Amino acid sequence: MAAITPNQLRGPATTEAVRPAYRPVRPGPVATLRSTVREIVTHRRLIGYLVRADLKKRGADTFLGNVWWFLDPLLTMLVYVILVSVILQSTQEAYPLFIFCAILPWKWFSASVADAVTCVTTKEKVIKQVRFPKVVLPVAATVGGLVSFVFGLVPLGAMLIILFPNHISAMILLLPVVAAVQFVLTFAICLLAAAITVFYRDIGNLAGHLLRIWFYLSPALYSSQRIQSIATNHPQLYSIYTLNPFAGLFESYRNLIYYGQPPEWGLLGIVLVEASILVVLSVIVFRRLEPSFAKVL
Amino acid sequence: MPPAIQVRALGVRYNLRLTRRNTVRQTFMSLARHKGPTHFWALRDVSFRVDYGESLAVIGPNGAGKSTLLQVLAQILEPTEGMIDVQGRISSLLTLGAGFDPELSGRDNIELAGAFMGMDHRDMRARMPGIIEFADIGQFIDAPIKTYSSGMNARLGFSIATAVDPDVLLLDEVLSTGDATFRAKSQERVMELMRSARAIVLVTHDMHWANEFCNRAILLERGNVVAAGHPSDVVAVHEERSAARQSGHQPDPLPAIVDVGLDAVA
Repeated sequence: MAAITPNQLRGPATTEAVRPAYRPVRPGPVATLRSTVREIVTHRRLIGYLVRADLKKRGADTFLGNVWWFLDPLLTMLVYVILVSVILQSTQEAYPLFIFCAILPWKWFSASVADAVTCVTTKEKVIKQVRFPKVVLPVAATVGGLVSFVFGLVPLGAMLIILFPNHISAMILLLPVVAAVQFVLTFAICLLAAAITVFYRDIGNLAGHLLRIWFYLSPALYSSQRIQSIATNHPQLYSIYTLNPFAGLFESYRNLIYYGQPPEWGLLGIVLVEASILVVLSVIVFRRLEPSFAKVL
Repeated sequence: MPPAIQVRALGVRYNLRLTRRNTVRQTFMSLARHKGPTHFWALRDVSFRVDYGESLAVIGPNGAGKSTLLQVLAQILEPTEGMIDVQGRISSLLTLGAGFDPELSGRDNIELAGAFMGMDHRDMRARMPGIIEFADIGQFIDAPIKTYSSGMNARLGFSIATAVDPDVLLLDEVLSTGDATFRAKSQERVMELMRSARAIVLVTHDMHWANEFCNRAILLERGNVVAAGHPSDVVAVHEERSAARQSGHQPDPLPAIVDVGLDAVA
């Protein structure tokens, strides 16, 4: 309901005089954040439906169906194990587990972002027909990736128990903490990707390449000590490297699962600060662009 | 009682620099060139109101802004200027049919539609049998929407749109879809909604519909209301001007009904 006041209704009859009085007022940043949270909470069921619909579709029309949720991260890991330990002759102990700690969270992130890039543009028809808060779409993309992450924990657990039982520790129970930090970061990037793609479809083509570069720049297939030893002469170079949120995230996941140590609290804190600033900015950008979606699509 | 819909000095502006220029390169090129109009007013100075129990026909040539008007009423588009006040629940499955997600079954799509419209899921589930019965698509209700014929899709869409007890129903040409039996059924449903004091805005090219089932009409041309009043009068104006256009003449530019629009319709 557009806001009206009785005074405006009784106002002068000439359009020129009426016009400025009805110019829309833009809410401030705090009001924007608050209303966004409210929209997400009141539409949680819609988000649930969207996530479930996405999962249903991923299994549909395939012979193995839901098995793909477990198979997909395993196959990715296999590719890298062949590449790095067989061809490049890495000496890292328990290498499959070493990279699985990074591949699993990365699968979540990259799947969510890839989803987010198209989440608004593929819902073009619905957006032009029904009024609903568009923020539910990137939320659903982020949650959808999280669900596949959770499914990926099953093969991870199986691998730990069967192949590397000496790596199991109680630290694994801290996984949700690291995952929560990653959730904030992923949501922020998804919001930005979703909003900007509406105006520049180029993002869709660019996203895959950017994600791949980001992955190789992050300590996924190698440990960050490797970078540290390369950058011994330039310590500031290593500090810049740790600004990459996935440096802190991958190292933390690896500490919990592979080394049985507490996460890198310092690095994780930096990631949380970065992600929180980014999520606030992204929400404001998204909400600012949202009214134009129906016009531009 | 306040009117169901009140629109005053409404204007909707499209930014042509953003619309349909989907790559960075094109944007820079158009910014660099500074050529052509930057904005386009799809609607301007539109005023009217619809009371409860009324049904308003919106007629006019293609590109007059009829669908944009419905999108603003449905609060899908924000007005650039002017004010608009719609009381109560709006149902706006304008031309969508039921296709919220083509991969999902009809049943899932009904739930999804309810969630998109912000309906309570228990409420929606309770309405489900009624929707399915009215749409009358048999066992297809459990098949993915992508397997539906366009008529089945439209039927399910109309059935959802009207089953949610809207206070304000916005319809865009949907009544011309479906076979004769379903058309008769949907006409009956619209009449029923009107009798129970709902407000309806109907965009149509079917002058018969405008005359027969609506008690008000406005004629939109180039984003302006150029005639408003009783359907038969407005249709007569529209037909006269269309005939002039067909015979190659440019009809006299009628002055836009600006702020008197409210009184002209009321």
